[in-house]
Amino acid sequence: MAYDLEINICRRCILPETIPGINFDDKGVCSHCRRGKSADANVTEKKAIYRDRLDELIRSTKDKAPVYDAIMAYSGGKDSSYTLKLLKERYDIRLLALTLDNHFVSPVAWENIRKVTDNLEVDRLCFTPPWPIMKKVFSLTAKEDIFSKATLLRASAICTACIGLVKSLVLKTALEMSIPMVAFGWSPGQAPIQSAIMKTNPSLIRQNQSALKRAFPSDINGRMDRYFIPDFYYETLKGRFPHNIHPLAFFDYDEEQMRQQLNNLDWQSPTDTDTNSSNCLLNAFANHCHIQRHGYHPYAWEIANMVRQGVMDRDEGIEKIYTKQDRKMVDYAKERLGL
Amino acid sequence: MSEVREIIRVFIVENFLFGNEDGLGDETSFLDEGIIDSTGILELVNFCEEEFSITVEDDELVPENLDSINNVVAYLQRKAA
Repeated sequence: MAYDLEINICRRCILPETIPGINFDDKGVCSHCRRGKSADANVTEKKAIYRDRLDELIRSTKDKAPVYDAIMAYSGGKDSSYTLKLLKERYDIRLLALTLDNHFVSPVAWENIRKVTDNLEVDRLCFTPPWPIMKKVFSLTAKEDIFSKATLLRASAICTACIGLVKSLVLKTALEMSIPMVAFGWSPGQAPIQSAIMKTNPSLIRQNQSALKRAFPSDINGRMDRYFIPDFYYETLKGRFPHNIHPLAFFDYDEEQMRQQLNNLDWQSPTDTDTNSSNCLLNAFANHCHIQRHGYHPYAWEIANMVRQGVMDRDEGIEKIYTKQDRKMVDYAKERLGL
Repeated sequence: MSEVREIIRVFIVENFLFGNEDGLGDETSFLDEGIIDSTGILELVNFCEEEFSITVEDDELVPENLDSINNVVAYLQRKAA
């Protein structure tokens, strides 16, 4: 593997010196690790509390909604596949898996989506916006940082646009079908445990959605409007706003064990995606654009959190973040986007 | 409460503005100005819970409590009352 370790990185996690605002002490430990020490305390106890909370939430909602107990934002990747399996096998709830076809889903991931949902007997929906719209969104975000610096610290502009659509579509579907829970496969490094079970709030969602929409120029915004929550939903469907859950924040997270368990459902690791994705053929290019523009990998924040939490070895984290992007994968996406 | 205000301001500046506080007023909307996104709001909640030993309830997750320095300070004041 070719690592680009010409820059200084934190001796405890993997964050590089190019992260905005970061500083290192005389032992080479970064400011985020120093600040994170107290937050990481009692994590085992917190995880147990959150598992109990999810048990309770599911006890109180199971079989009460008209058709489904939960909708899963399902990419077909390792994390969302494992989350789907966990929810089905541990709780036996009525699940609907929704996949956004962003036109870059790996063929192996499509097969995985089919096999996992079939083997778990979970209904699946695929939502496909037209290619010209997705092409325009990805071409724009490949070239411009239309989101805030803080947002881009955690994900590339391309990923942020795509995930914004996913979040909006699953919530919109949950509201329309009266589904009380929306599940995500966020890794333990992607969002804090405190947000792992949270009731969505109409006014907060409304403000988030309008900030996301405003980030896009008007020609794109007008064509994407139908993917966002219509204004009248906030009032007329306010009693239906669901709980968001991301269980991997508080269940054991071991990538190797997760892959082994998924193999029992005939899930296979794709070989045509980069080290940080198990479903998307655009991710390597998204990473490449971000690294070129910002000087650090867009997954650095997430992987650093996971190393800090002890759910990933530092060496594995370094491999994920400092392996050079595969030129063929980068060129594939670039060509399809006509860039 | 001026100490609380300063703690919140430092957290926002260090974590979301990378040390540059230009343009961050006490009334500045975090969401409207793109200072914090939806994940960032949750990190702010996480920080408030840890720093001030409070529990933010689901129905308190509203912009009126969390979307500016003034809103957060006023919310924390109400929680402490």
